[in-house]
Amino acid sequence: MIPLVAVVSLRGRESRTLRVWVPLILLWLLLVPLAVLLSPVIFIVCLVCRVNPFRAFSVGWQILRALNDTEVEIEHRSAGVSICVF
Amino acid sequence: MNEHRRQILQMLSEGKISADEAERLISALEERPSAGSSQNVSESATKARPKYLRVQVDSEEAGHEGPTKVNVRVPMQLLRAGVKLAGLIPAQALHRANQAIHAQGIPFDLSQIKPENLEDLIDQLSDLSVDVDQKDREANVKVRVFCE
Repeated sequence: MIPLVAVVSLRGRESRTLRVWVPLILLWLLLVPLAVLLSPVIFIVCLVCRVNPFRAFSVGWQILRALNDTEVEIEHRSAGVSICVF
Repeated sequence: MNEHRRQILQMLSEGKISADEAERLISALEERPSAGSSQNVSESATKARPKYLRVQVDSEEAGHEGPTKVNVRVPMQLLRAGVKLAGLIPAQALHRANQAIHAQGIPFDLSQIKPENLEDLIDQLSDLSVDVDQKDREANVKVRVFCE
């Protein structure tokens, strides 16, 4: 299953936390037509670079699927940012 | 186990043990494997394959207001997919990258990174924990890398 939601938390110096839920599903839905339009170009680029386009697509899809449960948290002094992908 | 049973039966035939003793010994032998298998199950449960790679960095620099902390959780699936991505790199580019790495004096061959090698590595990662602790006048840095 590809990630559907990302939660971005921003914490400022005043200890206020802004939490944004990003619906990735909408992003994927917007990107699908673009990917379809660009697919011939991607296909040609893959062939020029001697990369199997189907294998490239398969690996890209696997990376997308594997992004689930990724978590990155960075805190500097009293500020911080956290990104969780579900 | 059959060998043990045979020994018991031989001792019985030689008259070294009575029939009751032989029966008790055989029943004890029969109980032993079930205890062993339950132990194996608990061992395999505790040694489950790791799902995530965790990298924690805790840095405190002198003269700064507060510490800097980094906490990254990477799914193992992403590592596997990343290695597969490395497999897509054209041979010519891989050769150039290898040359650049060798020029830096690092004896590492990128073409040797294969998904099957990574599986072996991940199997061993469950026991791995890297702790780096650096303390000096200017900074105090702690790095932890482990699997969970």
